[in-house]
Amino acid sequence: MNSSRSLALVSLFAALLAVFGLIPKIDLPLGVPITLQTLGVMLAGCLLGPQRALQAMLLFLVAVALGLPLLSGGRGGLGVFMAPAAGYLIGWPFGALVTGWLMTALPRATPKRAAISAFVASALGGLLVVHAMGVVGLVKIANLSWTQAFFGTLAFVPGDLLKCAVCAMVVHTVARGLPDWNFGGRALK
Amino acid sequence: MGSLYSEHRSWLHGVPAAVKLLLFALLGTAQYATHSITVLAVGAVACILLFISLGRAVLPARKLVASVLLASLLILAFHTYMQQAALGWISVLRLLSASLLGIALTLTTRTGDLLDVLERLLSPLQRIGIKTERLALQLAMMLRFTEHFFVVWKRLDEAHRLRTGKAGGLSLLAPLTIQMLTSARRVADTLEMRMGE
Repeated sequence: MNSSRSLALVSLFAALLAVFGLIPKIDLPLGVPITLQTLGVMLAGCLLGPQRALQAMLLFLVAVALGLPLLSGGRGGLGVFMAPAAGYLIGWPFGALVTGWLMTALPRATPKRAAISAFVASALGGLLVVHAMGVVGLVKIANLSWTQAFFGTLAFVPGDLLKCAVCAMVVHTVARGLPDWNFGGRALK
Repeated sequence: MGSLYSEHRSWLHGVPAAVKLLLFALLGTAQYATHSITVLAVGAVACILLFISLGRAVLPARKLVASVLLASLLILAFHTYMQQAALGWISVLRLLSASLLGIALTLTTRTGDLLDVLERLLSPLQRIGIKTERLALQLAMMLRFTEHFFVVWKRLDEAHRLRTGKAGGLSLLAPLTIQMLTSARRVADTLEMRMGE
């Protein structure tokens, strides 16, 4: 893997994730807010592949831990890793990794196939894995029971499914706008 | 981009970053070893006193502290409703202590100093070929491009408003992502020229 290309992609994608935190949240008609940073986790996996996506998430979380207010709402510092929602944050690198793995394995020869694969990969990696880690966090930090944590996290699933669809649309546009982009993340010419 | 570091000097600003990080990590871990409400309450009071002793240095963290208090109230209310008040207090005391220690560390330690500690901690990884010294460069690039991409987002939004009279919203994500990926290619070429790999 080319070192400087990886370095650039990882840093710039971490920057994109930080920008997603700066963009004001978008409210859906029913009042469900959408913060874009979990969409960034899905996009990282789909666009960068597993290793670079994992590195981008870790770089972003290191910056947050160092005290930079990069999470949506201007949050940052070590304190956020001790809050009830910390499991979701810690789940981001794992979610991006699994999304990247799946995207590498699924068909992506045409923009349409890449979009369908992106939806599946982000639903399993960015949604399922991140929520699973989030539930573990709620149980361990907020001392909820597994059932309570499970039903608590279910409330966010519809919004996150919508993000999977948005991720698929972005992947579709990128596949058309940058036809030489390798969604497995192995090559960047 | 500014960090949450507070320019108002406090006594904790003078303690070396590595010492603070080690002490806070030990204290944060220790409170998970006990389930005694009395011990946890003493710990939480100590953390609150430490936090208050920082004086005006804590002002930049008002919102963060408010969010911690809100989360604590919600957890306590939920557990009380479920007739598990003792469990609720244990969670809240742990959350308060750990969060206040984390926020105190962030407020009183420069990002660069924490980064130095982190690079020292990661330095053994160099033996297996991982270039940990690039972490500082990656962080610098990330922060530089965060501002750049935010400006790009605002430009795209303005253009969208001029064309359609409405805010861009989610439809701007794809063009922003494409601009990021093409920027990454340019930056990678520049780095390749400078670093030779």
